[in-house]
Amino acid sequence: MKYLAVANVQPAEVLDPDVDDATRSDKPWIVIVWNDPINLMSYVTFVFQKLFGYSLEKATELMLDVHHKGRAVVSNGSRERAEFDVYRLHEHGLWATMEHETL
Amino acid sequence: MGDDGARDIVKLNKGPVTRTKTGNYKLVLPKDHCEVLTQLISQLRDSLLTTTDDASLRRLFPTAYHNDVKKDAEYQRLMRDELLASRLASIETALTVISRNDELTESEIDAFAKSINSLRLVIGTTLDIAESDYGDLNIESRQSKSPETESDEEKLIQSELYDYLGWLLEWTVSAQSEGL
Repeated sequence: MKYLAVANVQPAEVLDPDVDDATRSDKPWIVIVWNDPINLMSYVTFVFQKLFGYSLEKATELMLDVHHKGRAVVSNGSRERAEFDVYRLHEHGLWATMEHETL
Repeated sequence: MGDDGARDIVKLNKGPVTRTKTGNYKLVLPKDHCEVLTQLISQLRDSLLTTTDDASLRRLFPTAYHNDVKKDAEYQRLMRDELLASRLASIETALTVISRNDELTESEIDAFAKSINSLRLVIGTTLDIAESDYGDLNIESRQSKSPETESDEEKLIQSELYDYLGWLLEWTVSAQSEGL
């Protein structure tokens, strides 16, 4: 049985925003799932398939990004959409946060 | 364990959770497993009804805005109670289906999986599971240590429960994946 390894990068610290919202309001929001040492790889893959309709290949690729890179962007869109996705991921016990996309 | 238990163990070799031809699910666990699960999930429900601020429960209520403290506070103000209600609803469903001798619907197996995963998150947090606790080798390593104190024994029991819940969740996810 394999488990997701602990991340070097974790959303543990909450910082004040350094850019005014108005300057970023036209950029989409991205939903990030962070690595954690507890959730099963198979469970994370299944949740990605179930919530976002991803194929097994795509969901596995995202899960492996989470595992190896510490995080993966799993969806993007309006702030409301991102909050909805974050909530659903939290319901399933995944470590998800959201931020404005930076280009 | 009587004959019924022996039959259950034979069934366990096929996995405790299977998808039926009609698209429902069968959960087959020995009676003592059901009792332990019921006890654990009931304890989780009672903890959640007491407080959501306990350190062991922090993984059940994560940050949503990792780089914006004000937005996160607003999000938590609006969504935390809803998330709590969702967790409690899943727990109530899980408690109902664990000992019920009937097939589970898609939403019931989903609630069961979420509750098992919530338990793993809480026990894993309590055990301070980290990258080094990776895979079967570490399970064997943890289980091969002889407990020297009461605290060690408690950790050993939690560790075994954690591994058991992982095994059960793997089978649940496997069955659910057949329905995708």
